[in-house]
Amino acid sequence: MSAPASSIPAVTVENLTKVFKAGLGQAPFTAVRDLSLQVNTGEVYGLIGPNGCGKSTTMKAILGLVTPTRGHTSVFGKPSIEVESRRDVGFLPENPYFYKHLNGLETLLFYGRLCSMKGPELKDRAKEMLAITGLEDAANRRVSGYSKGMLQRLGLAQALLHRPRLVVLDEPTAGVDPSGSRKIRDLILGFKEQGITVLVTSHLLEQMQEVCDRVGIMGHGQMVREGRLDDLIAVENETELVLSDATPELLAEIRALVASKGHGAKLVRTGHPRTTLEKLFLEVADK
Amino acid sequence: MSLPFSIPRIWTLAAATVTQLLRMKIMGFLLVFCVIVVVAGFAFPVMNPEQQLKLLKDVSFGALQLFSMVIAICATALLLPRDLEDRTLYTILAKPVPRFEYLLGKLFGVLILIGSGLLLMDIAFSAVLWLRESLVLAQSVAALQQEGTATPEAITQIKAIVGKQGLTWNLHLGVVAIFLKASVITALTLMISCFASSTLFTIVISFLITIAGHGQGLIRDYFLSGQGGMFKMLFSALLAIVTPDMAVFDIVDNVINGELVTLPSFGLMAGIATAYAIGYSVVSHLLFVEKEL
Repeated sequence: MSAPASSIPAVTVENLTKVFKAGLGQAPFTAVRDLSLQVNTGEVYGLIGPNGCGKSTTMKAILGLVTPTRGHTSVFGKPSIEVESRRDVGFLPENPYFYKHLNGLETLLFYGRLCSMKGPELKDRAKEMLAITGLEDAANRRVSGYSKGMLQRLGLAQALLHRPRLVVLDEPTAGVDPSGSRKIRDLILGFKEQGITVLVTSHLLEQMQEVCDRVGIMGHGQMVREGRLDDLIAVENETELVLSDATPELLAEIRALVASKGHGAKLVRTGHPRTTLEKLFLEVADK
Repeated sequence: MSLPFSIPRIWTLAAATVTQLLRMKIMGFLLVFCVIVVVAGFAFPVMNPEQQLKLLKDVSFGALQLFSMVIAICATALLLPRDLEDRTLYTILAKPVPRFEYLLGKLFGVLILIGSGLLLMDIAFSAVLWLRESLVLAQSVAALQQEGTATPEAITQIKAIVGKQGLTWNLHLGVVAIFLKASVITALTLMISCFASSTLFTIVISFLITIAGHGQGLIRDYFLSGQGGMFKMLFSALLAIVTPDMAVFDIVDNVINGELVTLPSFGLMAGIATAYAIGYSVVSHLLFVEKEL
């Protein structure tokens, strides 16, 4: 008996190994080694790791763009090698490029037709996506004149055009300024609210921390750590207490209390919490 | 029963390919062609009527062959590596698009472009040839009248000579033969680009195979003279697989000489072209489906 649709994971990777053949006289290169992971429906899963650790190869295997050497991958229960598995997937590659001879609207119409969309439904959806990604004014401009951030947003628009249940984002904020990057982050949070599953890789760990429910950390083609973000980043033996408008006298009292009745507890540090450079930039830039 | 492929999807990819090539100003060749035809049509009035019309056909068919071969090889060689380099291929194949549909879209896109280009050039060439034919006929009849030899028999004879070298349906069959040859070369180039490491490699190898295909008869004569039996059969089969025999499309020379093309020979040519195009496309698919992106 098949499992009910809601219990089927959005993405399943089981014992994935990918070995790339090399040229004559060169050893084959193992990009991913015995990797297993599962992305549940409706969650935002972040795959992080240094350059060349196998993140992109894993994503390509999930999308059926490369064939696993061993193991297998599936999307909503359908093997990735089947074309049908891509019907519910939207993909944004790192630094996406589109046909330079098309304008923004034509690009979305092109990708929509590839997803079997047509007629007024496609046109309306394409215009809606341009509006959501803030590209309405550039709809009739050739893509060759788009900035990196605009290309990234157009990439998101084409990925979401056919209302996929899973969105795969490879470095969605690469090369985008903090303001554009924040917009993309907000869009990802929006997907989460709509119940869309997101699999994302990024080098901007702070942003990943803001959007991900679970993360997997890869190194040398293998999964090094995996789990719920809150569990992974919590420092088990420390407790944070944040006070506002505390007087020096109150702080002194707290210090004294910890020293006298701490039962071994130590005050590690006090001071002013720092904002992030990104938050500061956005505050200043928005003014 | 649903089809195992989507015609609208293939059409979408073909239309995008046509637009892509058109916006690369590839059709500027058409303008050059029109200039060549007009110059060839009116630049040599001192030749005899037959020679004038034959020269016009020679030059025009030469330009048609050049146009179709250059587009078939260069445009096709550009498509796949560019999509791969720009990562456009990722976003296309990450949609529910089977790889063979992508290849068919590219192939049909180039063929639509070559077909449309040949059609436009055929129309321009036919118009110039018809004008030139009318002009040559009027001049020849006027010359006969001046010489006082314009008997009905002489006029009928000159009309027959000019008509044989003038505009006939046969000429359009020659253009179709050029299209069929271009289809084979396009499919061959697409197959090479599926495993080639660079655009330049694809272009060079495709040109070499095309040239070898034109000289397949000579190659066979050179290597197989004095040979027989199994070796001859195997070598011929291998040669036919590696290079399409372009001599099959030589009806273009007959057309230029004003000779009639028979339906069976045209059918055979169309059949061979279709078989080669399908064969190369199947191999392209087998190579492309295994390609790591």
